[in-house]
Amino acid sequence: MAPPRYDSAISAASCSGSSSSSSSSCAAGKLTPPQEIDGLLADAGYKVRSSDLRQVAQRLERLETVMVNAPSEISQLATDAVHYNPSDIASWVDSLLSELSQPPLPLPSDLSDFSDLNYVDSLVGPAINPTVVNNEWTDLHAPQQQQTVPQLLTVVTAMEEDSGIRLVHMLMTCAEAVQRGDFPLAGSLIDEMQGLLTRVNTGCGIGKVAKHFIEALRRRVFTPQGLCSAAGGGAGSTNEYEFLYHHFYEACPYLKFAHFTANQAILEAFDGHDCVHVIDFNLMHGLQWPALIQALALRPGGPPLLRLTGIGPPSSDGRDSLREIGLRLNELARSVNVQFAFRGVAASRLEDVKPWMLQVSPKEAVAVNSIMQLHRLLGAPPSRNSPIEVVLAWIRSLNPKIVTVVEQEANHNQPEFLNRFTESLYYYSTMFDSLEACPLQPEKAVAEVYIQKEICNILCCEGAARLERHEPLAKWRTRLGEAGFRPLHLGSNAFKQASMLLTLFSAAGYCVEENEGCLTLGWHSRPLIAASAWEALPLPPLPDGSDPIRIINQNVL
Amino acid sequence: MAEDKEKKAKFCINDHIDILVEILKRLDGPSLGVAACVCRLWCSVTRNDSLWEHLCFRHVSSPPPSSVRPVVVALGGYRRLYMVCVRPVLSRLRLGGGDSDLVRRVWTRDEVQLSLSLFCVDYYERLDGRLGEASASSLMFLCKPVNV
Repeated sequence: MAPPRYDSAISAASCSGSSSSSSSSCAAGKLTPPQEIDGLLADAGYKVRSSDLRQVAQRLERLETVMVNAPSEISQLATDAVHYNPSDIASWVDSLLSELSQPPLPLPSDLSDFSDLNYVDSLVGPAINPTVVNNEWTDLHAPQQQQTVPQLLTVVTAMEEDSGIRLVHMLMTCAEAVQRGDFPLAGSLIDEMQGLLTRVNTGCGIGKVAKHFIEALRRRVFTPQGLCSAAGGGAGSTNEYEFLYHHFYEACPYLKFAHFTANQAILEAFDGHDCVHVIDFNLMHGLQWPALIQALALRPGGPPLLRLTGIGPPSSDGRDSLREIGLRLNELARSVNVQFAFRGVAASRLEDVKPWMLQVSPKEAVAVNSIMQLHRLLGAPPSRNSPIEVVLAWIRSLNPKIVTVVEQEANHNQPEFLNRFTESLYYYSTMFDSLEACPLQPEKAVAEVYIQKEICNILCCEGAARLERHEPLAKWRTRLGEAGFRPLHLGSNAFKQASMLLTLFSAAGYCVEENEGCLTLGWHSRPLIAASAWEALPLPPLPDGSDPIRIINQNVL
Repeated sequence: MAEDKEKKAKFCINDHIDILVEILKRLDGPSLGVAACVCRLWCSVTRNDSLWEHLCFRHVSSPPPSSVRPVVVALGGYRRLYMVCVRPVLSRLRLGGGDSDLVRRVWTRDEVQLSLSLFCVDYYERLDGRLGEASASSLMFLCKPVNV
């Protein structure tokens, strides 16, 4: 297998720099453990060799101890000291330490052999120069000395951080092994990582992320491909998927943001129309629509006649769940005096839906709403009749007033496993981070299962079974533009509403950003979900004057 | 004059419900709740939804259109709107703004609209027992602040 092309994997379309720089850290992809720059720190602007991480951490600790204990000597640092570029942490710390008359620690032998776990226990350092002032430091790092109890807290933290960093590096090495097809090595790495997991806190932070990714790798390596059940696929799992989806809806604001933003755009598009028809590509429990119904009920001039067509998978247990949701929405609409009609279209795949099933009438304003559904159509190779082309063509043939598209803002559809692994590691780390603040149990735990299923689908499944093929906003822009759609700017009302909604979610890390008329919701400036709105460009008339829309409808039948 | 003095001495607020309502209209939510515990009469008076309507929109910059009332009544009434949406939304948005004089803050139309939307989602979730175990939990994120 040819070595992976990482430069092609760094998508120029990536909306934030963090995800692309992670790929650049795995430049070589060789068998030996990497000597290159650590990717995680590179994101923060610091260049540290992966093999030097522990030593640099020790030196930083030492620097802090020295600075704390000798404050009077520090002023000279501000005046006549020469400092190296702080992005190169190793030499920067050394220069500071030498300024404070502490000799730098010599680098120990190469500790990048990942099969050796013993170093975590002993924390044996090199011989210390006797001019070291701080006794604590000497106690901690004198050779062959057991950790004493007062330093135990520091030792445990250092060990955990160490283990966390090691876990990430081992995850990357294991993913490289999987990509190469070296399953024995991958398997042994997985076993080691599971052992290492016992030393870290898997309830939060890097331990939790690692736990989920180790599980995904384990399934990939040890489970035959035939057992790959996609998230939401399989007849028996529809209810389970709805359950997970509902808890994900409750636990974090991503779906609420999607619903409210799409509703705002649809509401504005329907202004002035008396007959409106909404087509929902994934009805689930219909949680998006009460708010739209209420907003239509209160719009100046009175509510229109609202038709809703909900597409969803067929129910497994004989219940007609689509119809039940329709009845409930109908009851709500009647309570607020909105004329309402519902139609359910059961289809296990979106590409099985034909436009005639939707029964769109020419005199109504149509809105097509797709919340995280379009990416599931990207499995086949691009061609004239690939599922995504077909679906976009019939959407256009309906002549919709507005198409609302919400997609994960991530690049998880790359053909090479390692690229997908790296991208999803960063993406889902951020998402798990944002989930930490959720106070609701069991919603939070079930939401994690939902996310776990997505991760497993991205990493364990291939071909038609892999449905979670997330692509970044820029790619969707290109794709929708080529399919004959023009972007509509989501207005300031949508932005205001999204910001207000986020203020209600008490965790302060969420951020709404505007991106060329689209809105993205992210955690600490990493966008995770993007909402956009589109309208169909009018089709040019055919040379013989016939109506192109009618022809398209016939073709897709 | 002596007659008035005699009447004043025997004045009982419970004989003048309209005055009682006028006074209650000026209270905030928790005080209304306390007032409801005074006696059965006060309890029934404070359950009057128009009091809560007044409370919900007291600080809106412009009065809401008349179409709002039937919608709110259909979705559960103003008292429920206040308890479930308005109070948490206001308090959470205030925390973001850092206003010290909380009660006097003026609502914007967008905040009203957002509260109504959330209220509608709440009503919808209560409509069916199948979502029952998660009923009204859409709005639980409003009620459980987290120290971040």
